[in-house]
Amino acid sequence: MALTADLTAGTAEAEAPARSGLLRYLGRKAAWYLGALLVAVLLNFLLPRLIPGNPVDAIVAGLGRGGVEGSQLHAIHAHYVHEFGLDKPLWQQFLVHLGHLVHGDLGTSFAQSPASVSGLIAQALPWSIALQLPAILIGWLVGNGLGAVAAYRGGWFDRGAFLGSLFTSSMPYYCLAILLLYLLAVAVPVLPPTGGYSFGNSPELSADFVLDALTHYWLPFLSLVLVFVGGQAVGMRSMAVYELGSDYVNYGRGLGLRDRTIVRYIFRNAMLPQVTGLALSIGTLVGGALITEIVFSYPGVGTLLFTAISQNDYPVVAGLTLLIAVAVLVANFCVEIAYGIIDPRIRAASRGER
Amino acid sequence: MTRLTPRFHVAAGIVAAVLLFGLLGPLVFRGHALGAVVGGLYDHPSGSAWLGTDNIGHDVFTNLMYGTRTSLTIGLVAGLFATLIGVVVGTLAGYRGGAVEEALMGVTNVILAIPSIVVLILISIALGTRSTLAMAVVLGVTSWPWTARAVRAQAASVRTREHLDVARLSGAGTFSLICYDVVPYMLSYLCMAFVLQVSSAVLNEAALSMLGLGPSGGVSLGIMLHWALAWESVRTGAWWAFVPPTVLLTLLAFALLMLQSSLDEVFNPRLRRFVRRRRTTVAAPPPAVRKAEAA
Amino acid sequence: MSTEGPATDLAPADAAAGQLLTARGLRAAYGPTVAVDDVALTVGTGEVLGIAGESGCGKSTLAAVLSLTARPPLTVLGGDLTVDGQHLDLAGRPPRTWRGGVVSLLPQGAMNALSATARVGDMAVDVVRAHRGRVPRSVALDLLADRLDALDLPRRVIGAYPHQLSGGMRQRVVTVLSTLLDPRLLIADEPTSALDVSTQRALVELLRELVGRGLVGGIVFVTHDLPVLRAVADRIAVMYAGRIVETGPTAALVDDPRHPYTAALLSSVLVPEPQVRRRRIGGIRGAPPDLADPPAGCRFRPRCSLATDACTDDPPAVGDPDRYATCWWTRDHPDERLEPSL
Repeated sequence: MALTADLTAGTAEAEAPARSGLLRYLGRKAAWYLGALLVAVLLNFLLPRLIPGNPVDAIVAGLGRGGVEGSQLHAIHAHYVHEFGLDKPLWQQFLVHLGHLVHGDLGTSFAQSPASVSGLIAQALPWSIALQLPAILIGWLVGNGLGAVAAYRGGWFDRGAFLGSLFTSSMPYYCLAILLLYLLAVAVPVLPPTGGYSFGNSPELSADFVLDALTHYWLPFLSLVLVFVGGQAVGMRSMAVYELGSDYVNYGRGLGLRDRTIVRYIFRNAMLPQVTGLALSIGTLVGGALITEIVFSYPGVGTLLFTAISQNDYPVVAGLTLLIAVAVLVANFCVEIAYGIIDPRIRAASRGER
Repeated sequence: MTRLTPRFHVAAGIVAAVLLFGLLGPLVFRGHALGAVVGGLYDHPSGSAWLGTDNIGHDVFTNLMYGTRTSLTIGLVAGLFATLIGVVVGTLAGYRGGAVEEALMGVTNVILAIPSIVVLILISIALGTRSTLAMAVVLGVTSWPWTARAVRAQAASVRTREHLDVARLSGAGTFSLICYDVVPYMLSYLCMAFVLQVSSAVLNEAALSMLGLGPSGGVSLGIMLHWALAWESVRTGAWWAFVPPTVLLTLLAFALLMLQSSLDEVFNPRLRRFVRRRRTTVAAPPPAVRKAEAA
Repeated sequence: MSTEGPATDLAPADAAAGQLLTARGLRAAYGPTVAVDDVALTVGTGEVLGIAGESGCGKSTLAAVLSLTARPPLTVLGGDLTVDGQHLDLAGRPPRTWRGGVVSLLPQGAMNALSATARVGDMAVDVVRAHRGRVPRSVALDLLADRLDALDLPRRVIGAYPHQLSGGMRQRVVTVLSTLLDPRLLIADEPTSALDVSTQRALVELLRELVGRGLVGGIVFVTHDLPVLRAVADRIAVMYAGRIVETGPTAALVDDPRHPYTAALLSSVLVPEPQVRRRRIGGIRGAPPDLADPPAGCRFRPRCSLATDACTDDPPAVGDPDRYATCWWTRDHPDERLEPSL
């Protein structure tokens, strides 16, 4: 927005009430999100403890079947009961849990003991982010461009682009991933089918490894970016079509504004929800492509979660779900704040002007 | 008053076909019982097993019919649950306003803020064993908030219409007001919300199943994909194990979305681009025309 | 100062001389529905011409045609305009610079006429630049500020977003923007409909002031609101079913309507004056005709209590170019007064 600060007298006067309104708006939003965060933590805390028998009993029983001796079992049981604080009343357990969370301590993995949950996540997270961030950004740019052009041009281009986008965006992303995997890695084997890098290679900062990782990158990236492009294009097109019919477009024409000026107005109004969409999808960086990663055995958060679920590794599951929830909450909160600052209409609504 | 587009007919046709396949398929094609072992690991399609066999020698076609049935059951029941809860919460909040609205919408917004996949994973793990119905209820119970939020806005706008004053003056109670004077005006909207809820429930079921949290002991489209992935059917080229459920899921999701968007076009004509006016009195003409007629 | 009827006998070839606007043969349609059918009108310099009529008579369509803002599904089938000596054939694509510069639009419902994410000042800059090239921002903003000062409007609106202005202020700001470049003709399309009575008055005064100072050459004011029209218009043209049925100076037309439809329209308005207080408010029976298939001859015939067999032929324009009605009854009863209620 090309808003200038040098506008004549009175601007400050109009802004003054807006500022206090903005603070109130932010305060209210912050309260809501804190509440949501608390609920998420509580869910994360309570649900694994509701499992019939507690997770410790389950894991120890599993170890027992594995032939571990009785006295050892007892020691392991006592260790875990202590670590989870299961010998204390529930509310104390919750406080201890909160205390651990504040220090970034997500506990110890059952299945890969003694690896810490935060350590496992720290290994997986960069892969997920490296996969999704470019897919989201590129998909957003291409999708919005496509949608805007479709709305503006109309006709057959519009219909074709719209139906195509509707198809890729409504297609479940994991279905697209499976089909792409089969087509490009199995039926016509041009790309490697599995993993984040070749078997035998290990993550390091060498040209060799980066090149190897890039060839493994294409398939999962492609499957994600196509879905993003479709979704953004559909959204942008319908926003732009809606704006094209609005009164200010007609008035702008009536004043002889150039087409590109009017298009600028249209896109400024249509972009707002799209920018929100971008910020919101950044929140799904962590948990947005769980199944894509499973399909391609990509060494990210999704694969970690999949293994943890199949091994009843509750601390890892709980840590991951919490991380996914926090990422989404933080992104949503940032969006609401940005929205409150950017969009004057929302500021107005929060002040009760409309 | 409403003219249905070809898009609507195509979408409705696909949805109906998938429904028929899931409901009547198992009654018509009785070649193999569900769970019967009819061959080895990933046998190619043949005369007896039309779509080959899966990783434990079950007939894929039979799995597909029952899987479709399970997925649809979960989708429809979950959609019904979600829409019902959403409508009750949304109408109450929108119609009553005040403290009731504040409280209900507060709860709704909090639940809405937490990603549903997290709640789904946690509840599914806590449940241990999951029946089809339990899955459906869990999916429904976690996805009502956005319906509630949208319904609230609709109900709040209906509330201010004049016919409600008339009904109120004639002594109608709150319950009958909501049932006869508020909800009917949102039916078109509820219809679309339900379609969306069904489609998202079907897809969420598949996602959960692929994570390994699907309905226990049964077969659904998602579970078929789960096994196909776990047993490397994709990399070994056993396309018959994963292509059919993939195609069905895609078809279903696409058709439901298309159904929703063509319903939206019928109910919300501003989205319609290529309007050709045949008569002067179309129910809801595009804005330029409306302006002229208001003159 | 004259408004030409659809009939040819009253349309002198040199009618354009001395007029601000001369429009001839305006036809516009939504598909098969011809909403404006062969309308001709003139506006003199410094004059406010009111266009009155009920919903669906084509008056807003006429406003779209005159302001050159017709867009699909509305298509302009033909007609030509002469504004201040400049000629324009409507069959072609109207030049962009005419809009806002020569002919400007004051829209209905200024609520949504401004983009919600643009400040009033931004809009003014865009308007000035659209017509005068890349002038500096400050020049455009100065122009707006001077105009606001001249019209006694607060300068603070320059930095305001539309939602920060009240409805009445927003409509006045839109008026200022519409007339920022001193257009010769302003087409006001129901500008007062969404306003309460006191802000209506303020807007009417603003418009009269703009004309009085010569900032706009003349105004075509379209409304269904006859009391507002009595306050603002020098002359009124009454439209029915896509055609102009009567025109005349405001006082003459209101006191002594010469077309049965005008009389009916006037009688359906509440007039809070003592001598008419006891009069029954009459509606007009029936509904306007389907413009896709209008009745032959006089279009008001099916609803007119004075209709005769003669009315199936196109009615003649009776009177002179300044004051006429297109009606067979009026021609046959030149000295009889039309009773206001039918």
